[in-house]
Amino acid sequence: MIGISRRTILATVAGALSLAMPVGPIGAGAAAAQDFPAKPIEVIVPFKPGGRTDVVARLMGEKIQENGWLSQPMAVVNADGGAGANAVNRMQRGDDDGHTIVHWHHQALIAMAMELGDFSLDDFKSIGYTGGGSPVWVVNADSEFQTMEDLVAHLKADPRSLVEAVGIGTIPHFVGAMLAKEAGFETRYVTANSGADRLRLILGGNADIALFAASEYLAQGEGLRPLVYFGRERLPDLPDVPTAIELGYDVSWANPNWWLAPASTPDENVAILADALEKAINDPEIIEYFESNTLQPYWTPGAEAMEDATKQLNALKAIAETIN
Amino acid sequence: MVDAFFLLFEWQNLLFLFIGTALGIVVGAIPGLTASMLIALTLPLTFHMDPVSAVTLLIGEYVGGISGGLITAILLRMPGTPASIVTTFDGYPMAMQGKAERALALGIMASVVGGIISWGFLAGMSPALARFALQFGPWEYFTLVLMALVMLAVLSQGSLTKGLLAATLGMAFALPGIDSSIGQARLTFGSSTMLSGFGLLPVLIGAFAISQILRDAATPQSSTTMAIPKKRLPIYRSDVRYAGKLLRGSVIGTWIGLLPGIGANIAALMSYSTEKQLSPEPEKFGTGHEPGVIAAESANNASIGGALIPLITMGIPGSVTEAILIGALTIHNLQPGPLLFQNAPEIAYGIIAAYLVANVLMLMLMWGTVRYIAQIVRLPRSGLMAVILVFCVTGSYAVNSSFADVWVMVAFGVIGLGLEFCRVPLGPFVIGFVLSPIAEEQLRASLMMSDGDVTEILSRPYALLFLALAILTVAWPYVFARMRKGENAAKGESS
Repeated sequence: MIGISRRTILATVAGALSLAMPVGPIGAGAAAAQDFPAKPIEVIVPFKPGGRTDVVARLMGEKIQENGWLSQPMAVVNADGGAGANAVNRMQRGDDDGHTIVHWHHQALIAMAMELGDFSLDDFKSIGYTGGGSPVWVVNADSEFQTMEDLVAHLKADPRSLVEAVGIGTIPHFVGAMLAKEAGFETRYVTANSGADRLRLILGGNADIALFAASEYLAQGEGLRPLVYFGRERLPDLPDVPTAIELGYDVSWANPNWWLAPASTPDENVAILADALEKAINDPEIIEYFESNTLQPYWTPGAEAMEDATKQLNALKAIAETIN
Repeated sequence: MVDAFFLLFEWQNLLFLFIGTALGIVVGAIPGLTASMLIALTLPLTFHMDPVSAVTLLIGEYVGGISGGLITAILLRMPGTPASIVTTFDGYPMAMQGKAERALALGIMASVVGGIISWGFLAGMSPALARFALQFGPWEYFTLVLMALVMLAVLSQGSLTKGLLAATLGMAFALPGIDSSIGQARLTFGSSTMLSGFGLLPVLIGAFAISQILRDAATPQSSTTMAIPKKRLPIYRSDVRYAGKLLRGSVIGTWIGLLPGIGANIAALMSYSTEKQLSPEPEKFGTGHEPGVIAAESANNASIGGALIPLITMGIPGSVTEAILIGALTIHNLQPGPLLFQNAPEIAYGIIAAYLVANVLMLMLMWGTVRYIAQIVRLPRSGLMAVILVFCVTGSYAVNSSFADVWVMVAFGVIGLGLEFCRVPLGPFVIGFVLSPIAEEQLRASLMMSDGDVTEILSRPYALLFLALAILTVAWPYVFARMRKGENAAKGESS
């Protein structure tokens, strides 16, 4: 009902607007732009509403519609479940001409590395990244560990002596495992399938280490102590937290907002979508949202994003082998 | 805090709260549509509102959505939301006995009292309660849910075997999907659709609503035996005797609500079973006993106030609904968490104030309209069921925009019909389905944490307490019977 009615409303609004407004420029080269999009674009978000991926999709869609960067509105549809398989199935049932797209992040690569759904990078054409963020590893503020060096030394002296809150087969699990492999230590796990669970466990002293989005950490203020940041460079909001790379571990993780279309989507339609998204990510209001949520606003074109994702997927596959 | 109330009484905030509560009640009452769907649907509208209005709208929807469920639970035995499963146990039998208005009146009163008492906890001692709840780790969660599972057995004392059979079946249906403890597919038979497992909403409305619709379709004209409510909603002066029960249900609801991930349905179940065990006449529960409705409805509403505590003090959402609420706040560049009271006190206190006012509005709205809503049982059954069926299908589809969920719903409708036919109760079936994934995940998390060492539970006092209560729950009827026997024997000797 959510999808249908919102789409209906949007379609009605769009219909009314197109009647009221004069038709756009007509001329050579505009043929593709006029055929596409011919109807509202369905943006499938493989998560429940309210999370970052959902909110970013909705904000970008609003901004694009407000400025008329696409001739049709974008309608977000939430398709949670099955590690993204539900969303991919839905995308494959939809149009493969750019009217059905997915807004995801690198959890998609983890599902591929774990071979959960029956989908791979070959099923997608990458439209691009619209910014992203990197996480921090934190301990409880009362913890004896002041720095990452303390923590690593402790774990090396006494392996598996600390509990790490992770959702098995999710980003915190893989990022932690990459660092553990690189630094040569081992932790015990406790299942925590959401940021809320990790926060609950670490604040209550039931887990020693957990991974959080930098914004989640900043919202807590007291209570947590960040030890290492997984971005390539230090975050301006966290000037005192070193990056893993600075500490000598070749591990970094950026989780981009990744826009994907079915593999058979025509390139010119992907280019139209990419153009609108690039404009949106450079909008001052979007930039403000990103910055106040410690996300970096940037634009990475489709092919470049796909190359980055392929590289990341290979790294994840190596980790997945050691996990199973 | 006082400022927050003044802010709330600005006309547009009050209006949004009113609209939200009213919408919530309607959506909550319709089987298939839930508060979280409504909130997700209105989320884009809040982008352009000022943050206080956005929050009041969403809180109204939340409170209304949980409360509205009692209407259809009582009148049609179709819980409008998962939170009112337990309300059907005694509410529907009451309606069948011609006491529909009375059941509705008690349910509404209990909801409001539950809301207001839990508001007292929310406004008065949030930080302390949140700190307390944080101590609960996997062991505590596991033993708590174990206790709830054991209480299921008690609930179905009528036929213990069939109750346990129903619960076990429910648990079995919770197994397929991604095993969250190892991140691997389990019992999916290679199907990517099965990776999501069976969703709660499709199973719930399948088992309750669809099976009822199928039964109605098969029995010509038999369902019109229900008395038609026409009098005023009756609340008597003598109902003051329920004060203790209301308080107990509200406190249980608040404390269960405090624990993120343990929902309003579990709160209602716990409260109901506790009430039944303390009752001098436990055999009356399930046959249209008034305290049954009171226990369920006071607890499920109180659990919202409880769940708001970790949300506003720590930024930890207790349910999908609250996760969306957090999303709505981040759009306005507000991060819920301890800093919210410093950075945006009008929002933090606004949530607290809105929760109280939403409860009052809910009382006014439901009290004023429920007499008319209750007339739905007068409508031709065929037409009513057709409309409900439409909502069930759209609702099941809308959760994850997946048509597979609609087929799951239909399948569980048939299963529900079959279970009823064999006189296997549906309540334990659905609750077993809801509880077992939490129990499993938490037990396995506990064992991961302790490296497989079960004795770790000995160092967790709360977990031990819950375990002891669980054992007592099972043993109590036998102990009680024996004690009585002993007493009788002693009497026999002395005389």
